[in-house]
Amino acid sequence: MLKITALITATVLLSSCTTAVEELYQKVAPRPSLVTVEDREQDAKESVIAADSSSFESQDYSGNYSRSNSQSNLAKIATAELKSSGVDFVLYFSYDGSEINEAATKEIIKHANFMRDNPALNLRLEGHADERGTREYNLALGENRALAVKEVLGLYDLASRVEVISFGEESPIAQLHDENAWQKNRRVEFIYQ
Amino acid sequence: MIKFAAAILALYASTVFAVLEVTILKKDEDAFPIVIAPFSVKGDAKQGEVIAHVMRDNLNRSGEFNASSADYVVTSQIDFDKWQAEKTEAIVIGKLEQVSKKIFNVEIELIDIYSRKTLYAKKFAVHNSGIRRITHYLSDQIYFALLGEKGSFDTRLAYVTVENKGRGKREYRLEISDSDAQNPQTIFRAASPILSPSWSPDQNKIAYVSFKNGRSEVFVQYPFMRRKTQKLPYFDGIASAPSWHPNGESIILTLSKDGNKDIYSYHLKDEKLTRLTQDASIDTEASYSPDGERVAFTSNRSGQVQVYIKHLKTGKIKRATFEGSYNAKAVFSPDGKSLALVHRVDKDYRIALLDIATKDLTIMTNNKLDESPFFSPNGGMIIFATNKGDSGVLSVVSILGHQTFELASKAGEVREPNWSHYSK
Repeated sequence: MLKITALITATVLLSSCTTAVEELYQKVAPRPSLVTVEDREQDAKESVIAADSSSFESQDYSGNYSRSNSQSNLAKIATAELKSSGVDFVLYFSYDGSEINEAATKEIIKHANFMRDNPALNLRLEGHADERGTREYNLALGENRALAVKEVLGLYDLASRVEVISFGEESPIAQLHDENAWQKNRRVEFIYQ
Repeated sequence: MIKFAAAILALYASTVFAVLEVTILKKDEDAFPIVIAPFSVKGDAKQGEVIAHVMRDNLNRSGEFNASSADYVVTSQIDFDKWQAEKTEAIVIGKLEQVSKKIFNVEIELIDIYSRKTLYAKKFAVHNSGIRRITHYLSDQIYFALLGEKGSFDTRLAYVTVENKGRGKREYRLEISDSDAQNPQTIFRAASPILSPSWSPDQNKIAYVSFKNGRSEVFVQYPFMRRKTQKLPYFDGIASAPSWHPNGESIILTLSKDGNKDIYSYHLKDEKLTRLTQDASIDTEASYSPDGERVAFTSNRSGQVQVYIKHLKTGKIKRATFEGSYNAKAVFSPDGKSLALVHRVDKDYRIALLDIATKDLTIMTNNKLDESPFFSPNGGMIIFATNKGDSGVLSVVSILGHQTFELASKAGEVREPNWSHYSK
């Protein structure tokens, strides 16, 4: 934990003082009012079930993630940009592990900056496990992985905008039963909405 | 035999739900040799065949018996020398008489070949629709008369099936069936995962985990009543791994409402939540001992995934497993003396039996990825989920270590088995 904090301090904040963070935030954050006011009105009027074009199966699970179309479009456009800049939207973990290493921390910091630049967006972290071991333990493990990512984002005061969900081993990306597949399935996915 | 199969087929061709295929794997050479002779029948002969056939299958599935038929109807004139020469130890003979369109008189007698004594006899009238149920009851009586222990036939299973619907979509079904996988009913279906079905001790309720609202939540459903499914109150985080207190009044489950995954007990009537563990590590997969005084659960508090037991009177938590680096999802045997659990051997996950007092661990299976062990209500068998080829099946092993039978679905995967208590 100390290591992560140190890294963050060094790479991004340049200062541990919260007022400095606030200033930095004020400088880099775009004015959100244009988008959000409209959005809120629309949210109040209608609750549209977003058509899901994402490849993540887990998003199909529920029919009731209601969000407005413009919000989902905003999320799509903004995240497409972030994706094209080479930022990872999936972080991988070791067997039975939920530790965030240095490389992963750097990726999470990029997401933290993105969230500050896009204050209208919320983040859904989906934790997953490979098929080995018991289903219920893996459900807990998947949540720990997503919570570990959220903990880093929490250092940026972003925790209130982050939702954590675990699917355990129930939603594998790779279907085979080998180390290669397992490695792909031990993951946390970043989904903006 | 083909005729039997045809009769059974005709009986079930009309059911809407796919019956799991039951394969009886191996008859143990030491198993008790018993003959269930064809019944003498007046009226609908099919029903007599069903009783004898179901009874043989029941006894064979238990792994304790080697049940066969006879070439002819055996009446009360029994040729004891002949059966003795064939090394049969007991014989069941029966009579079936149709007294009206749907009512049958059934007479059954279990006779010991060596002592030539009647060990069990029963005569009763039964409605068409109750024939299978009564056959399971009679199988339990025969089992008890010969082995001095209860059978597990007049009981029910719950399990989850998963069918691939293409384009990454799946259909999950929560099903219940008789102990021989017949009479299956889908009680809940969803496009999202269903986990950990658990029969209440009174057999009227099933608790389970569903993701239908986008995250894991615990539900209690009443499969035989016109009563709405109840959702346990929502707390932040995961709610999972439900299991009943033996008195049926509360459910033990895993909640992560403050981020920590800990064990809680939820009293259904009082709506009261009691915390049973408090640890920064993962605590999950809790189950009560039959006397309700102990709780076994999985925890990685030692840095490894191991099974612990909390004694509720003293509040003390003791580690129960010491062999191997991964032991999880333990359930108590009906006598409370052992645990069935998932045990990692090298890279494989297998079912093992732990003697709680001596800490002796016996590995029961030889597969790659076994999950979700659960005892039959008489403690004689353990049902669990495993992979066969590329599909999930249910397998049953006797506690002596013989694999007895397997349940598979043609439509897809079967997993998450749970065995009910005895019917009332």
